[in-house]
Amino acid sequence: MNPFEIKDCALLTRMSGLPAAVNLRELRDRIASCHRDVLYHHFCETPLTPSFDLPDYRNDFAVWAKSRLGDDVLAERLGMVDPYSVEAMEDLRAATLEIIDERLSEVTMVPWARPGKELYLMQAVTIVFDTGDRITHPDELAAAIGRITNSSIYFHVLEARRRNTPREDDFSAWLRGGEEDWSHYIRAIESIDVTFFTLPELRRKMIEVLTSARGPGGKGDRA
Amino acid sequence: MNKTLEAYEAVVGGAVIRQLRMLGERLKGLTVLHVNSTSEGGGVAEILTWMVPLMRDLGLDAHWKVIRGTPAFFSVTKSIHNGLQGKPVTLTRKDWDTYYGVNAENCGELRDSLGKADVIVIHDPQPAPLLTLCPNRKGKRIWRAHIDISRPFRGVWKMLRPFVEKADASVFSMSKFAQALPHPQFIISPSIDPLSDKNMDLPKTELEEVRERFDLDPMRPLLVQISRFDRFKDPVGVIQAYRMVRRVLPVQLVLAGGGATDDPEGKEILDEVRDAAGDDPDIHVLLLPPDAHRTVNALQRLADIVIQKSTREGFGLTVTEALWKGKPVIGGDVGGIQLQVTDHYTGYRVDTPEGAAHRIRFLLHHRDKMVQMGATAREYVRENFLLTRNLREYLTLFTCVLRGQHRGTIAV
Repeated sequence: MNPFEIKDCALLTRMSGLPAAVNLRELRDRIASCHRDVLYHHFCETPLTPSFDLPDYRNDFAVWAKSRLGDDVLAERLGMVDPYSVEAMEDLRAATLEIIDERLSEVTMVPWARPGKELYLMQAVTIVFDTGDRITHPDELAAAIGRITNSSIYFHVLEARRRNTPREDDFSAWLRGGEEDWSHYIRAIESIDVTFFTLPELRRKMIEVLTSARGPGGKGDRA
Repeated sequence: MNKTLEAYEAVVGGAVIRQLRMLGERLKGLTVLHVNSTSEGGGVAEILTWMVPLMRDLGLDAHWKVIRGTPAFFSVTKSIHNGLQGKPVTLTRKDWDTYYGVNAENCGELRDSLGKADVIVIHDPQPAPLLTLCPNRKGKRIWRAHIDISRPFRGVWKMLRPFVEKADASVFSMSKFAQALPHPQFIISPSIDPLSDKNMDLPKTELEEVRERFDLDPMRPLLVQISRFDRFKDPVGVIQAYRMVRRVLPVQLVLAGGGATDDPEGKEILDEVRDAAGDDPDIHVLLLPPDAHRTVNALQRLADIVIQKSTREGFGLTVTEALWKGKPVIGGDVGGIQLQVTDHYTGYRVDTPEGAAHRIRFLLHHRDKMVQMGATAREYVRENFLLTRNLREYLTLFTCVLRGQHRGTIAV
């Protein structure tokens, strides 16, 4: 099997050019008209932006609904939107709008944020580069994950789900392409619910499950 | 002495340093020119003091030039600065001529450097006309606004905007500080240098010396707010909160900061603070010189809880400094404090002296929670607000601007 090429990325956020949203109706309008990169940023790129690692929810819209609109119902519904389960960003847009429209039909007053607590619609540009580092054998996976950056973890585990068909991480895709059966490692990675881990936690968890799957002799539990 | 990137490896880890080296490798030889208006004093000079050597360490041909000006010029730029932050100011046609004229003179002196640079970064409004002067240069132009210009005094912004809109990109510290412009606007948060005098680890003996110097009792909890004596930092509100806590807990309070006594407003507020403190021996109002970095460092480390009860705030690097020292922060729910302080995790955001007093009392009764918050806070800063992240974002910015690609993914 070909060596796994470890890549890394660096992200820079920028203004989307859309006005900030101050209430739920404006949020709806912004989501309906924004570029797909804006949606992707607020749903998927949050682990790489300077935001607190353990918010109540994993996407910016749900966090804003809870902390600034004070709408717990909406926050809970938006918080369960899985951006990696949809085929395309337009599906994600439609699912999000559906939730907001439903909420707008339920409330008697449009939830709004106080001045200074608006939601700024952002997007990002990402540079991807080859680190030159290679994994030559699946048994080296856990050790390799221990030495790469958080942004590298993001690129190969989370961002990969946007790139790959089927939607899976780069490590699993690589293992699947090998001539031997590495399904014990693939199962180990699949056992992690990536949504609820920060990048450092995700690294620890991956090392833990891969080390456990490898077993003492390196052959793993292939039963 | 200039530090190299490897000096930071023990703080951020080898992977982060290797990542910077790899990004730097792809920009090797790139000529970058930073231009600002002062070589010392102020946040911008502080940033460029570490950034330019580290960019050079990465293989970029980085330079820093300071424009020269007359007292009249700096008086005008001070008004422009205030106007951009929303203060109504009066600037005459002559004032704007002075502003433009001094920049034109500087352009003459900097022509060679401006012409050769691949990327020119103009910091803040003082040298902004350089974005339009020297039209034949080859490089990309970036305007870096370090201040909040979200609600500028219209007369000032109207005059300044024609200069800054000629940039290829602009950079703001927070999304809420930005202005709509006809080019991409990037966001790069400020950062702290963990090895600087203000943030480095200090020997215990030095902490004890500072404790003794200010007559602080080691046996009682210490609350500290570090900030200049400015109404927006609400020092009187902090004293009110302290008094509410003092009824039930034997706390001490330090309010420390620089404050020019020749600044009429600063003096007035300092007097108000001293009046509010009265003869309470447990309130220490300290007017520190601008270079008292190690003293500030020691006071933050001696604190049990750091307070930043601002009612209006920029990014709030004093909060970053406190979080880096593993202290929970009780801060106003404004500006960059919102990005740094999260309730129950790194501290508490409050709106009133009562709110601050409530949170102080809670934390002092839950020491284990304070330790936990402190550890979370330090890791949060390590991940997001150290200079290595700042440097990485500048390298990313240069790559984007040079390629003219401002969204999506760029493979390099």
